[in-house]
Amino acid sequence: MTVILMLVKIFLFPGLLFTLLVSLWLAGIDRRLVARMQRRVGPPLLQPWYDYLKCCGKETIIPRKANKRVFLAAPLLGLASVLVTAMLLPVGGISVFSGLTGAADLVVILYLLTFASVTLIVGAAASGSPFAGVGLSREMVAMISYELPFVLVILAVGRAAGQGLNEISQILLGAEGMGVTFSLADIAAYQQLTGLPLIARLSLIPAAIAMLFVIPCEVGQQPLDIDEAETEICEGVLAEYSGRPLARFKLMHLIKMYVMSGLFVAMFLHIETGILVLNVLIYLVLCTLVTFVSMTVPHAIMARLKVEQVFKFYWTFVTALALISLILVWCGV
Amino acid sequence: MENLPILSIMALFMGAFLNSLVGRRSRAAGNAVVLIAMGAAFCMMAALVPAVFFGGQTICYWLGGWAPDGGWAYGIGLEVDALSLFFGLIVTIAVLVSGIYSFTYMKEDDSQVNFYTLFLMLSGSVLGLVLSGDLFNVFVMVEIMTFSAVALTAFRNEYEGALEGAFKYLVVGSIGSTCILVGTILVYANLHTLNMAQIAALAPANMNMTMVAAFAFLFVGFATKAFLFPFQPLAADAHAVAPASISLMISGVLTKCGVYGIIRLCYGLFQNMDERSVGYLVTGFGMVTMFICVTMAFNQHNFKRLLAFHSISQVGYVITAIGAGTAMGLSAGLFHAVNHTLFKGLLFLVAGAVQHQSGSLDLDDLGGLSKNMPRTTVLFLIGAASISGLPPFNGFASKWMIYQALFEKAAQSGDFFYVLACLTALITSVLTLASFIKVAQSVFFGQRRAKYAQVKESPLGMRLPMWVLAALCALLGIFYRAFAAGFLNPAAGAALGVDAYIANALTGESVLTEPVSYWAIGSWNPLVWLILLVLATCAVALVSVTNKPRVREACAEGSVSQSAESVVPVTMDGVPAGGSASESVPPEEAKYEPFFSGEESEYSQVGGSDLFWGFKENCRKYFAFWHKWHSGVVNDYALYAVVCLAAVLLYCAAFVK
Repeated sequence: MTVILMLVKIFLFPGLLFTLLVSLWLAGIDRRLVARMQRRVGPPLLQPWYDYLKCCGKETIIPRKANKRVFLAAPLLGLASVLVTAMLLPVGGISVFSGLTGAADLVVILYLLTFASVTLIVGAAASGSPFAGVGLSREMVAMISYELPFVLVILAVGRAAGQGLNEISQILLGAEGMGVTFSLADIAAYQQLTGLPLIARLSLIPAAIAMLFVIPCEVGQQPLDIDEAETEICEGVLAEYSGRPLARFKLMHLIKMYVMSGLFVAMFLHIETGILVLNVLIYLVLCTLVTFVSMTVPHAIMARLKVEQVFKFYWTFVTALALISLILVWCGV
Repeated sequence: MENLPILSIMALFMGAFLNSLVGRRSRAAGNAVVLIAMGAAFCMMAALVPAVFFGGQTICYWLGGWAPDGGWAYGIGLEVDALSLFFGLIVTIAVLVSGIYSFTYMKEDDSQVNFYTLFLMLSGSVLGLVLSGDLFNVFVMVEIMTFSAVALTAFRNEYEGALEGAFKYLVVGSIGSTCILVGTILVYANLHTLNMAQIAALAPANMNMTMVAAFAFLFVGFATKAFLFPFQPLAADAHAVAPASISLMISGVLTKCGVYGIIRLCYGLFQNMDERSVGYLVTGFGMVTMFICVTMAFNQHNFKRLLAFHSISQVGYVITAIGAGTAMGLSAGLFHAVNHTLFKGLLFLVAGAVQHQSGSLDLDDLGGLSKNMPRTTVLFLIGAASISGLPPFNGFASKWMIYQALFEKAAQSGDFFYVLACLTALITSVLTLASFIKVAQSVFFGQRRAKYAQVKESPLGMRLPMWVLAALCALLGIFYRAFAAGFLNPAAGAALGVDAYIANALTGESVLTEPVSYWAIGSWNPLVWLILLVLATCAVALVSVTNKPRVREACAEGSVSQSAESVVPVTMDGVPAGGSASESVPPEEAKYEPFFSGEESEYSQVGGSDLFWGFKENCRKYFAFWHKWHSGVVNDYALYAVVCLAAVLLYCAAFVK
């Protein structure tokens, strides 16, 4: 029974199938909203799905200079790894692995997202194309850029939730905890126990804003898609990809959108009611909202940034926001 | 059982002398002697594992039977607790792997008999150092170690800079050894003993200004041996010219001596790790080292020089974790220490294989070798993933433990300093990744020059040791909990259980040490993740089986010829590539031929040094400063050493009780 339940969790809800559906929904609504903001009609909601299928049917071309195995294995591994990462998010209070014996914490999720980016980079490197070379170099700079504020946000949230749980456990059990936590389950539990999402805490608002900036950079969404930049470097990292491997990388991109939105919701906006369906609905609405604010709006209103601008912006402005939050939380505000 | 420690040290030293007798006649016999000596040392260390790690015993051996009398140790002793044995195991495994690799790697070199004699001297001295229970013997072993390492660094003295690198190492290494000697003298003058257990028993009660000075001298001495900042330029110069198997020894084994020394010094001899000032000192050194070295690695054009800076950067992680002073910090630091030996060893051996097969280590020159050396490429990717901390490899598990230890320490002590340490560690990790992406792109992927078209895969004799290290990297990462329970926690327990260390040596009774235990603030289950990943990969692959894709291997239009036109390579910002890049890239044979669809005269030059332009452009002042700082002049390096010593002395005098 437990095995069947586990398999259902892994493959249907909140595992693979749910992840795919939500990702395609978010991507579809994102494209449509961007179009509307630019006074276009926009594609149908299922367009990302059509794109994926169409791409799958196309011929796969492997460049003469490519390392064939690595070139083909990278998209497969990348897609699988983001799918697994998506399973680590708590969806409306339930996750594939629940409780303290969870499979992975926030730092692990950070590294698993890095893992996905690395598959993209290694795949690009294996193609042997100079455009991919430029693209992967830019992807790496983007990664360095967002990692610093991302880490600061994680530390701030971990401290806030850990401290809060400490106080709660002192009142309830008389025992003291660690005072900090990396566990997403703990962070969700804290928000549920207090009934207030962490974004309601004043000192964490800068961190939340910083996180909203981190999301598009981590995903590589438009104003920050310096690694693809089709007008300058011919899709950069994806320059040599075609057919099914390309479809996989495109799908990985969409799932990353969902993972980052879901992560934001779990960290800052976790709301639980007693009813599961309602929880999931709230979760979906919040994910869509986060996607809209962090990815759709910048996409619609901004042109692509330059490489060095991205780095400068993230290591000054966004980092400062996250750092303010961390210091405030550390001082107990 | 009590004899095994001394026998293992003797096996290595005897092997050194026997090799120089036998090896002159026949290399095969010499190699057999070397193999037997290394194997015997490893087996003897392994034989101690059940008693020491699982049983919690401490094994003491008194040379010449001079056991302590009336609580006073006169004789020279070896004292092997779980901490010593932990480092003993690291040393013997690294020696074994490095030796076996050398058999193939050094085959074409002259005077191999001298090489293996020095190699075994080096191995024996390092093993003697970590097993010794006597401070003066530590100094003796440090001297043997430094001098054989210097000689081995210059072994291939036909290389440009080999003698120079060795000379710098000799000068600054001697300053470090002298610091250890001075520290030892000061301790002896105060406590009238050289036995480490006895020092540990007496030191905390007899702290005065000279003892503080002794602490500072010993700390700087061991920091030199670990190549912590500001001693990292030595390591870079030495690694770049040393044979690959010796680079493995220097990075995997010699630096560990420094780490071991600092652990014993702070936790054992002086037991002042709980003090805030000592924590700041140790963690501060670690933080600065890991950040500066990783950024320096960004600017390197030489494969092994780049690895050298990373090696020191990773030692910085170990030191940072040790400085936390908690059970988890110590455990995490020890874990990273063994992981460092494994992945760094693997990467140095890969670099050696590349050099052996292609004859070059220049990142701006090499490229596209993954077609020639597919297996070596896989080994490199495993090593790179481990060092950059990608799950599920060992580097991730230990770094993850270090972050937790530092964050917990910050919460417990309320010190924002440890949050900064945690942050530095996390950022260093992504910078490490960036720099290994650079290596991957400029050595194994990207485009290949015509002259490297004939490069062959590395021979099996070299790949085998690399596979052993790669397998250990994966296994330790996946089964890190079992490893922590079996090895790390007993070793950390031994380091913290100073009372047992003292009692075992001085009273002769057998006092058992307890493994440490701690709470994790996160969770990471590699097995579950791996199973899920396999499931997800299968699911994705299964969906695609429905219709077979048409795969075509592209052939560029008109098959652009390999010989490229003579156009000066241009960096990404439009400036002609300067410095060493332009020297090493003759215009007739640029690495990147005109791209298929573009104009033939247009180049897209993305040499290794031009990657990550956006990052470097913004930090150019920072890089310029450190570029100047690494002047390459030995006088400067000696000056840094003296200034560092003076600063640590002043700091300790002011803050350490």
